Amino acid sequence: MTAVHRQSLIIKARHGIHTRPGALFVKAAKGFEADIRLACDGKEANGKSLFKLQTLPLSCGAQVEIIASGQDAHQAVEALAALLSELE
Amino acid sequence: MGFLSRIRRMVSGQPPVEGGVDILAPVSGQLVSLENVPDKVFAEKIVGDGIAIEPSGKQLCAPISGTLAKIFENNHAFSIESPHGIELFVHFGVGTVELGGKGFTRLKEEGSQVEAGEPVIELDLKSIKQEIPCVLTPVVVANMEDIASMTQKTGSVTAGKDTIFTVTMQ
Repeated sequence: MTAVHRQSLIIKARHGIHTRPGALFVKAAKGFEADIRLACDGKEANGKSLFKLQTLPLSCGAQVEIIASGQDAHQAVEALAALLSELE
Repeated sequence: MGFLSRIRRMVSGQPPVEGGVDILAPVSGQLVSLENVPDKVFAEKIVGDGIAIEPSGKQLCAPISGTLAKIFENNHAFSIESPHGIELFVHFGVGTVELGGKGFTRLKEEGSQVEAGEPVIELDLKSIKQEIPCVLTPVVVANMEDIASMTQKTGSVTAGKDTIFTVTMQ
């Protein structure tokens, strides 16, 4: 059950994923057992660390991929992709 | 995660941290509790634990020596990682992202090494205060899982000189 699940999406938040949306994403990601990573512009970072996440260029219009591996990876990717596209 | 930070220190050749590490005020002003910041990601410590400052100064300085991991596009916040592995966020005001950088001037670049107390961002406090309702500036440790304890100060502080809190590592 360690299949890797991935989903790509475009960031729509007007100011990109800055501190507030970033913190909410990380809080949600920490709710899953799965290892969560975000990939953007050829760089990857731990989706459970706001500090690491903020080193990615997560600006409005950027394409980002959520990569999850572990037991609840499938649910994690679905929930986090939905959250990330809703965040403002 | 404390285990990981110990491994990182060993790999990077850093000696184990003895005693507490002092975090300095990035901006002059009055210390207030994080709970008073009208943004739940700070008030509820979702970003991390720390303290906020009601600023009166005109510069945001590095609160600790280390590497500037990120300076936000709009120059209203930055993050810094110390050689001990302490990850800190300094975020000027609430809703400041809306200003689009107006009133802020970047003095350093991302990825550069800075000494505690070195100015990172210059700010036009008067004009920023007219634009946003709250200029409380949270200073928080993002990786609380690596921190064993935190002792906070109270009162007024001078940027780059006074300690705002002291942490001990796991």
